[in-house]
Amino acid sequence: MTEMTTVEILHGEALSRAADKAVRAIPPAWPLTATVAVNPFLDQVNETLDQTAARLARIGGVRLALPRKHYAYKIAAGEITDEDLMAALQSNALSNRIDLPALKTAVAEEPQPVVALPTVAELAAGGTGTDWPGLVSERIGTFAAGFFDQGQALWAASRRNGLYAAWRAFATHDLTPEIFGLKGFSIHVDDTPENPHAAIEQAALSLGLGAEPGTYFHQLLLSVGGWAQYARHIQFKAEIEGRTDTTALELLAIRLVFEEALYEQHKAAIESEWQQVRRAHVEPISPHFDTVIDGLLQVAAERASQRKLAATLAAPSAIKVAELRPFLQAAFCIDVRSEVFRRSLESVDPGVRTVGFAGFFGLGASHKGFASDVAEHRLPVLLKPSVFSCSAVDHDAAADQQARFRARAVRAWGRFKLAAVSSFAFVEAMGPVYAGKLLRDGLGFGTGKGPDAAKPRFDPSLDLDARAVLAETVLKAMSLTEGFGRFVLISGHGANVVNNPYASALHCGACGGYAGDVNARLLADLLNDRGVREKLVANEIKIPADTVFLGGLHDTTTDVVTLFEGDLENDIAPDNINRIRHWLAQAGSLARAERARRLPRAAAGSVIERSRDWAEVRPELGLAGCRAFIAAPRARTAGRSLEGQAFLHDYVWRKDEGFRVLELILTAPVVVASWISLQYFASSVAPSLFGAGNKLLHNVVGGIGVVEGNGGNMRAGLPWQSVHDGVDFMHEPLRLTVAVEAPQEAIIDILRRHAQIRALFDNEWLTLFAINDHGQIAWRYENGLRWRPQKGLDLVEPTKIAV
Amino acid sequence: MIHALPLLAPLMLAGASFYAFRAPGLRPRRAIRIVELSALASIVVAVVSGIGLALQGPGTSPPLGFGYFALAARLDMVSLVMLLLVSFIGWAVLRYAGTFLDGEERQGPFIGWMTATLAAVLLLVQSGTLLQLVVGWVASSLLLHRLLLFYPERIAAQRAARKKFLVSRTGDAALISAVVLIAVSFETGDIATILAAAREGGALPLTIAAAALFAIAALLKSAQFPTHGWLTEVMETPTPVSALLHAGVVNAGGFLLIRFADVMVHAQVVLAVLVMVGGFTALFGSLVMLTQSAVKTSLSWSTVAQMGFMILQCGLALFPIALLHIVAHSLYKAHAFLASGSAVETVASISRPGPVAIPNAKAVGQAFLLALTIYAVIGVLFGLADKPPQALALGAILIFGVAYLIAQGLADAAPWALTWRTSLYSISAAAAYFALQRISDKLMRDTLPITPLPGPLEWTLMLLAVVTFGAVAVAQSLFPLWAYHPAAAGLRVHLANGLYANALFDRLLGGWMLPRTASAPPASAKE
Repeated sequence: MTEMTTVEILHGEALSRAADKAVRAIPPAWPLTATVAVNPFLDQVNETLDQTAARLARIGGVRLALPRKHYAYKIAAGEITDEDLMAALQSNALSNRIDLPALKTAVAEEPQPVVALPTVAELAAGGTGTDWPGLVSERIGTFAAGFFDQGQALWAASRRNGLYAAWRAFATHDLTPEIFGLKGFSIHVDDTPENPHAAIEQAALSLGLGAEPGTYFHQLLLSVGGWAQYARHIQFKAEIEGRTDTTALELLAIRLVFEEALYEQHKAAIESEWQQVRRAHVEPISPHFDTVIDGLLQVAAERASQRKLAATLAAPSAIKVAELRPFLQAAFCIDVRSEVFRRSLESVDPGVRTVGFAGFFGLGASHKGFASDVAEHRLPVLLKPSVFSCSAVDHDAAADQQARFRARAVRAWGRFKLAAVSSFAFVEAMGPVYAGKLLRDGLGFGTGKGPDAAKPRFDPSLDLDARAVLAETVLKAMSLTEGFGRFVLISGHGANVVNNPYASALHCGACGGYAGDVNARLLADLLNDRGVREKLVANEIKIPADTVFLGGLHDTTTDVVTLFEGDLENDIAPDNINRIRHWLAQAGSLARAERARRLPRAAAGSVIERSRDWAEVRPELGLAGCRAFIAAPRARTAGRSLEGQAFLHDYVWRKDEGFRVLELILTAPVVVASWISLQYFASSVAPSLFGAGNKLLHNVVGGIGVVEGNGGNMRAGLPWQSVHDGVDFMHEPLRLTVAVEAPQEAIIDILRRHAQIRALFDNEWLTLFAINDHGQIAWRYENGLRWRPQKGLDLVEPTKIAV
Repeated sequence: MIHALPLLAPLMLAGASFYAFRAPGLRPRRAIRIVELSALASIVVAVVSGIGLALQGPGTSPPLGFGYFALAARLDMVSLVMLLLVSFIGWAVLRYAGTFLDGEERQGPFIGWMTATLAAVLLLVQSGTLLQLVVGWVASSLLLHRLLLFYPERIAAQRAARKKFLVSRTGDAALISAVVLIAVSFETGDIATILAAAREGGALPLTIAAAALFAIAALLKSAQFPTHGWLTEVMETPTPVSALLHAGVVNAGGFLLIRFADVMVHAQVVLAVLVMVGGFTALFGSLVMLTQSAVKTSLSWSTVAQMGFMILQCGLALFPIALLHIVAHSLYKAHAFLASGSAVETVASISRPGPVAIPNAKAVGQAFLLALTIYAVIGVLFGLADKPPQALALGAILIFGVAYLIAQGLADAAPWALTWRTSLYSISAAAAYFALQRISDKLMRDTLPITPLPGPLEWTLMLLAVVTFGAVAVAQSLFPLWAYHPAAAGLRVHLANGLYANALFDRLLGGWMLPRTASAPPASAKE
């Protein structure tokens, strides 16, 4: 008896570890109120794409590649050359049994569809004909929607004692499973242990999992889709703040209890199949032949794109950079959408220079908007806020109060609209007003909520020393320590859309899914501060007395830039501000014309209307198409079109003492860009698992996410309409190419110190190149901290090589 | 001849629909434009018909066909209001769909089906003959069925469509039987003649039976308890379909009762049943709605409730108010569905201005007193004294709703400025409501029958309705104070599940059974 107990306790620990591992295998998903892209393979970066693809084929039933015909077409069109295919073959150690002709044969036919291992719910469905997977997902969805609801339902579900306890309270009352034949389910739930760890243990025991569930727990969490990812985000945030959280683990416990109950009821019918499945889950993962081919084609497609990038950088620039002091120096976010605008703006006048930097401009602000209690974390989600700010007008508290009263009255009205008996009064009294609203929105007169008019300020305020240190850090990170223009525009970016649940996905990812106006205005104000400038002089940063920093907001949907000149203490001469406005307007129309070519159903003149169209599912392209990240001086990329597909970070390594800025770039902006790139990748190649589904069916749930249709799983990732235009992919799924102008040893040194970053490059989730002193892509990074020269490839036409 | 003018509207839409079917599936730009233009043209037709009605008075167009087998347009206040409403909402929805479905492979057929559905609804609401009524009724339902299955591979879409199909065909059978009985007892297929005869004559047994069948058809069409399940599950098709369904098609039940109001008023027992079913569905639906976390699902439950309320109004023989309800609710719900993408922003804005002030029992008591005072004052101003008791009872129910708004402004933590604002909103809402009611009464005076004086049965039901709605209104005003008590947890679960009516219906129909062809469960089941 004592022996028995010991064995069980040992299993308990092993199972806890397995459960924790499964939870961590799930990528977090932020709520749509402020959503950011997340690498769906966050926990798999220590594996290669092939291994991850094999894992997800086993438990998710998806391929991580487009249909073969996509690649076949590119090969036929000459976009992917034999050299690219050869290079892909050489890069893959597993592929020694495949040669070029074999690879080309494989491209011609689609692989067998992959089928995931069945869960107990699926086995039971096979036996009884009842759609148990659908029912389980629907039941968990109904419960989770209520539990995570942020205010959609007036009568929210109880959150007492956490997810698992709340679910037990729900499931012991819920009669639905029993109506559909899962007899005695409420009693079964009532008999489960109150502690989720113990419930997992007990279910594992019933299911005969032993100590090692293999990939099974991960599969169960995948089967609840976005709910698991949202729960994981709660844990992720808690851990950044130094707390712990078990919400996602509790969700696993819930899913396991369903498996346990179904297993007990259908044991006789499914036992032998279940034993096989159990064994399959603990087998080591090894990529199937088709998965290896998929991986090779992916690499070949990326090689082709890298060749194109190298050629673009090698081509002569269309722009001569003037030596004169710039009249307007404009800093934008590294976001790929800025590239088009920056190029347009530079082409308007030689007096314009642009800079690229992460859009939160180094100010990790936790911000409270005008008349708002909600602290918005306007900074990358990997970081903790370092400054606090608000938009409250300091000498006018009454305005804030009034705005709050208005908002609260509107809120009371909203509750009146939704409450049980009063909804009838609401409809009869106010229904006819909606004829006007239908007209307004149908004709596109509705507008989104713009930025706060009130100037943001630090709250609590910072003393002069702290402000000066902050200013110095940011300027150095921007490589902007000399050559200041007459006007320096600090422009954040945000999207301007209506009736769009994905609005925040179009905002600035570096600002935590909010628009970048607050950070830009805070920085501009900081750098206009006389005291700060005096302090900076002592640190060798001399900002000319006539230099004015201007906060701005680049609207990525309309390419209109809002200037916050009202924030300045002294007015700008009308001539000057008009000149700047004129340039920005010209750049805007150039950028719109360029974007309209890629945007379905758009003309240059109709781009702005899309931002006000409540039926528009593709108001802008977002970051679709992103494929490269370049950290180099702007001169390397100026005057060359990167087609709105590159993140551009200004970086001058000669100014970088101890390569501290380089380290920051590789560990922060590059990681954020990789999250974006891999989210687009996964949502394109495996939309059923990592995409948010069809926008036409989206049903916003709890104010935090969407379900497709009636209910069931919440869907994280990007909607199909964001990656596909109905004819073709708007996002070609390529993993990011990172090109850095810096000494190779310095880069290697940083990778050596950051194992997680190194893993991204070693396992080819990203490709790293070093740019030489002539601005050419010269070395390719290879697994194991090595460089291989990229000689000549960039300068020769690919078709000539192929001969 | 002006009375035939309304027929132009469905004709044009049918033509546009035909064009859309022949257009390419992907990005049929020209078809989208033509369809929108035809919808705009049908608004014009409705407006011109209105002018015609004002000049020439109500009438029926010459019949197309013979005897019972004829189509004819009826132009009077009821059909005019419905024409205006349906064509306007049709325009809004079609315009939306033209952009919304961009890039969808089968956008052409989609707008084809949608325009055809709209044409059928327009045909229905201007029915001058029984045949046209049946044709419009059945056709709109069958065409809508195609839209509900726009993604035929979706299991949940099939499940909902199957339920809807069963309920609708039962309703069709009820309607056809009713129409046959009516035709037999009045010996004509002309609706205006039937209504005039019903207004003159008393109630024949056959007429009562027909009224009962009309009521069944209406209850089934308007998703009344316990057959509401399909309506809350049709989010498996693009948003514009939901908008059209909730703002257009589902109203047909109410329209039927209003169209045959002259017949219905003779069937007191049938009306009493409508009061009970409608009243229960209204309370049931609005309570379930409180627990729904998905925006479209919540809106669907709201429709169930609002349809119940409209049926309740019909049962109370307040037909002009029921028509007002149809108009008001359709406009609201069409917009609410099309704008449901704003739910993220709406929910986010809730928490910005700080915590919600929760009224205590005292504040709620004061709020109800204040609301009744407002009712009394407005009653004097709008001359409610000469209204039938049914209208007064209904007014009381609505004023209970307004009390909730006042209560929020009276909560201890609410500052004066807020109290002032919510009170202003409350008075405006109450005034708007009674004003609209009065307008509707005036407009419909010659078209719809006056509400008969209530008998003992009606008095009992009215009292019951006022008391239950009042009790729910009080409970809801005190809501957060009791709703999170563990004792209420079970109640919330059962309500969130719609009291399992739909689950039992599904079980009965085998709704959660996998298609027999699929031997192994599909991998997509996990999606």
